[in-house]
Amino acid sequence: MAVREAEPVGSLQEVKEAGLDREDLLGIYRHMLITRAIEERGHILYRQGKIPGSFYTGRGNEAAAVGVATAMGPNDVGTPLHRDMGVHITRGVEPWRIIAQYMGREGGPTRGRDGNVHMAAPELGLHPMVSHLPAMLPVAVGMALAFKIRGDRRVALGWFGEGSAARGDAHESMNMAGVRQLPVVFICDNNQWAYSTPTYLGYPIEHVADRAAAYGFDGVVVDGTDVLAVYREAKAAIEKARQGGGPTLIECLTLRMEGHAVHDDAFYVPKEMFEQWAAQDPIERFRTWLRSNADMTDDEEDQITSVVKRLLNDALERAEESPLPDPSGLEQGVYASAEDLDTPHHK
Amino acid sequence: MPELTYIQAISDALRQEMRRDQRVFVLGQDVGVYGGAFKVTLGFQEEFGPWRVMDAPLSETAIVGGATGAALMGLRPVAEMQFADFISCAWDHLVTVAAKQFFRGRTPVPIVVRLPSGGGFSGGPFHSQNPESSFAHIPGLKIVCPATPHDAKGLLATSIEDPNPVLYFEHKHLYRRIKGEVPEERYTIPFGQARVHREGDDAVVVTWGAMVHTASDAADQLAGEGFEVEILDLRTLIPWDKARVLESVRRCSKVLVLHEDTRTGGFGAEIAATIAEEAFEDLDAPVVRIAAPDTPVPFSPALEKAFLPQVEDVVKSLQELAAY
Amino acid sequence: MSTGTQIEVVMPQMGVSVSEGTITKWLKQPGEAIARDELLLEISTDKVDTEVPSPGEGVLAEILVSEGQTVDVGTVLGRIGPAGSEAAASAPEEPVPAPASVEPAAVAPEPALAAAAPVEAAPAPVAAPQTETSGNGRAFVSPVVARIAAEHGVDTTAVAGTGTGGRVTKKDILAFIESGASAPAAVLPGPPSTEPQPPAPEPAPIPEPAPVPRPPDETPEPQTIPVPEPMPEPPTPRPPTQPEPAPEPQLGPGEVLEPMTAMRRGIADHMRRSLDTSAHVTSAIEVDMSRVVALRKKLKPEYERTHGVNVTYLAFIARAAVETLKEYPWINGELRGESIVTRSSINLGFAVELADGKGLIVPVLKNSETLNLLGIAKGVADIAERARSKKLLPDEVQGGTFTITNPGGYGTFHGTPVISQPQAGILGTYAVVKRPWVIQDEMGQDVIAVRPIMNLTLTYDHRLVDGALAGRFLRDIRERLESWDEAAY
Ligand SMILES: Cc1ncc(C[n+]2csc(CCOP(=O)(O)OP(=O)(O)O)c2C)c(N)n1
Ligand SMILES: [Mg+2]
Repeated sequence: MAVREAEPVGSLQEVKEAGLDREDLLGIYRHMLITRAIEERGHILYRQGKIPGSFYTGRGNEAAAVGVATAMGPNDVGTPLHRDMGVHITRGVEPWRIIAQYMGREGGPTRGRDGNVHMAAPELGLHPMVSHLPAMLPVAVGMALAFKIRGDRRVALGWFGEGSAARGDAHESMNMAGVRQLPVVFICDNNQWAYSTPTYLGYPIEHVADRAAAYGFDGVVVDGTDVLAVYREAKAAIEKARQGGGPTLIECLTLRMEGHAVHDDAFYVPKEMFEQWAAQDPIERFRTWLRSNADMTDDEEDQITSVVKRLLNDALERAEESPLPDPSGLEQGVYASAEDLDTPHHK
Repeated sequence: MPELTYIQAISDALRQEMRRDQRVFVLGQDVGVYGGAFKVTLGFQEEFGPWRVMDAPLSETAIVGGATGAALMGLRPVAEMQFADFISCAWDHLVTVAAKQFFRGRTPVPIVVRLPSGGGFSGGPFHSQNPESSFAHIPGLKIVCPATPHDAKGLLATSIEDPNPVLYFEHKHLYRRIKGEVPEERYTIPFGQARVHREGDDAVVVTWGAMVHTASDAADQLAGEGFEVEILDLRTLIPWDKARVLESVRRCSKVLVLHEDTRTGGFGAEIAATIAEEAFEDLDAPVVRIAAPDTPVPFSPALEKAFLPQVEDVVKSLQELAAY
Repeated sequence: MSTGTQIEVVMPQMGVSVSEGTITKWLKQPGEAIARDELLLEISTDKVDTEVPSPGEGVLAEILVSEGQTVDVGTVLGRIGPAGSEAAASAPEEPVPAPASVEPAAVAPEPALAAAAPVEAAPAPVAAPQTETSGNGRAFVSPVVARIAAEHGVDTTAVAGTGTGGRVTKKDILAFIESGASAPAAVLPGPPSTEPQPPAPEPAPIPEPAPVPRPPDETPEPQTIPVPEPMPEPPTPRPPTQPEPAPEPQLGPGEVLEPMTAMRRGIADHMRRSLDTSAHVTSAIEVDMSRVVALRKKLKPEYERTHGVNVTYLAFIARAAVETLKEYPWINGELRGESIVTRSSINLGFAVELADGKGLIVPVLKNSETLNLLGIAKGVADIAERARSKKLLPDEVQGGTFTITNPGGYGTFHGTPVISQPQAGILGTYAVVKRPWVIQDEMGQDVIAVRPIMNLTLTYDHRLVDGALAGRFLRDIRERLESWDEAAY
């Protein structure tokens, strides 16, 4: 085995050692619920014709996204992708802004200039993905390079799918990061499908993380439905990078529980595969764990559920109030002016 | 004022910016110990160290993508392509990422990509191109093409200061051939301001980069024939000084647009079209374009001479304009 | 270069029966270069609208028939001169030596250029008074010269040109104005004279001894400044078919007048003539399209993938119609004088609405009997597409033996179309609608099922086709559609 396969997380004690108290755990659960709820709501809005364009969700990837984001430090940065709504939620992007983004409203993080999960929240350390995959990896590497040059104790996270691991950008990024031992953590959302392409048509080795060795750093495969295991591995990798220990490649293994996007019924995914992975739904799995290991009560659970519900209702209302962007402003904002550089992330 | 070559001016400007601003760093292939393929950064690593004068792997994607990331984090990367031609490997990163990041996320990407460009020494199809028009078509990028040592220095400082991705085309054929007086102190030259390289009222040549000097030689020949040609050096293509070009067109009424890049879809077409749209009633002759033919840049000196616009070509066209 | 090298552009014969055409648009203007086969103009006939490619290469010298005019086939529409020549000057003249001005020798007009004016048989346009004094053989005026001339009320023909071929250059006209030669009386209402001209006519160092055309104010006789001629009419003989100036229709409030296109006039004439000729009768039948619907669903992806063609219901119906027509030669025939004509080929016409919704064209799929379902689907898609993009050849709108019209696209379920003369029938197809339908179950019991039903109409010329024949024809088509035998098609 070229690469380490991470153990599942067991007891509350183990989790505490990893730096999470009970409040944190309930917070993680809430973030996972919000993540799913937003995407489910988006699904509905899309079918109602309220969301233009295409619509992608990360169903099945909530634990991987929330787990990694929870491990990030406040000043760390990243370039999450279309399966990583949980990162935006965990970093604090307000749900109404996400729905406004879906709907192409002025209130969305890209003010209608871009859509779906292409969201910018630089103040939260999140930089918007482009469609071209995995073009954000070299960008994340460059961010890490800046930290290294400046001696910042900050870490950059670059996400990519197992399908896009085939492109040269992935190689160039990891190679340069390895050469320079940059503070970057590569997160592979391995959901086993690249649109309709199965993994064995995408790469010829057992794990994407096997490649880390070729670039001179560690790789690890983790069960992406186990939010605590993801958290633990991400935390270790991020802190290692922060201490100057160089990059890590974490491969989060999940199944994409829906089609590639709403238009795709995923007929090509074997039914048994869906059934097998549905049995380890990340949210249900964590809920069970919380009940048996952290004594989550019915009251607590109800309260979280109703908070999420209210949040979503408010978000929808507020998003719908947000105006459509004014076309007369379209040509402004193509080029930055000197004042634009005074945004916090440039300090 | 010291007299410097074009390449010395670039080198001086870069060093001056790096001394002045800690955030500026250089990233490229062989830029460290070796000092870059053309020696622009010779001696830089000794002064600034290996992290500010960074030898990158043979990875144009990682260089430009990495520069983008570093810029997003507040640094001012100056990336060097060994030859402008290799920018094709980083197209995605300039066009897809850098050019559109501010538009979407309000996060400026202040990077400079230095692009040693142009032909004239049998560099062949992959070491001689002038790909400026391809990028001029991409909103979000700025394009700089200095023709003189003075401009090379001032425009590089402006490029590094600018909060946007800037493509800085430095013409290889000018590197050591063109000398000029360059102030020692730091100065900037605003983008979008053309420079009158030579005065005249009978016709105007609109051009940039190495062709400024070709036009200049041609104009000198015609001066003997009583035909005074203005040479307008655009200096930057995005933004370009439309107002100044139109002003010259109104005054001279005869226009030659000249560039070393190939003809079809070259930036000259944009200029000619703009003149046709906005100064039609000031024309006393059709707008003439001289550009390279629509072929890859050939290797053989005989072919390359035929490819690159020559002084004689410009003289001939100007004579025709004079007689029209 | 002689004018004999001029190439005539004539109104083409767009099909045997076509005798005239209307120019809808000139794609080039006089003076513009044109390559051989480059599109030169668009015409409209009652058969097709089409584009006319240039018969030769050079410069469009003149346009003789302007847009909107209808002329006979063969009429000369314009002329193309040799490359480098000019558009015909409004008043072509010999390069007469200018009596008063000294032509600078260096810029003597090249004879080749000066001789570009046509000397065709066309009656010479208004003989210009030979008081013309300028040696300027070129009528081309550059934009800036035109503007300055307008601003200062200068007649450019009065200015001696020093440009190529004697063209008046900007310098020439500025020097002319500077010299005071432009008669103030001729100043047109232009920009207020208080406003300084942007390129202030500086006392330009005049390169050569100024060829001052004539001393100002010396001889203010009219002859010194030629009276600007009104543009002569194109020197074409009036086409005989020019629609006579009809009495202006009276317009009521809110009404708008729109001229009829040639195509609309053609349709109008044809429809009227058809109703006046044939004894139109229409019969209808209802068809259960279940099999066709199912089959289409099955074939559609395959046809699209492997052949790039969308198989429509129309293709199925056409295919069934062809099979049936084979057994009903009269319905595929015509009455010609005292005789009945039948034939072995079936040329199916399809009524196609033009993209702008302002006309109808009936391209014909020749020898439809040789095509299978795929062939018909492809053929229909092809002619329909080309009909809409006006790329049909004249031959493709002629020779139909039977026509199908498909107004059902908008949901209509019945109609009485007009026969395309001289055919004997036209099949109408209508919307496929789900309806409750009485069928028999396996036990032979009547039950109601939901079925996709379509109405078909046959409009036939009762002079040739009897009602019973039409009924049998419709019955057979229905039979074919309802029991579509996949293997057989
Ligand atoms: C360079 C590039 N080529 C093609 C696409 C179209 N595309 C979008 S997502 C996708 C599949 C990506 O698979 P993977 O990397 O596994 O990510 P996932 O969608 O499964 O999370 C494809 C082919 C793209 N976005 N970028
Ligand atoms: Mg995938």
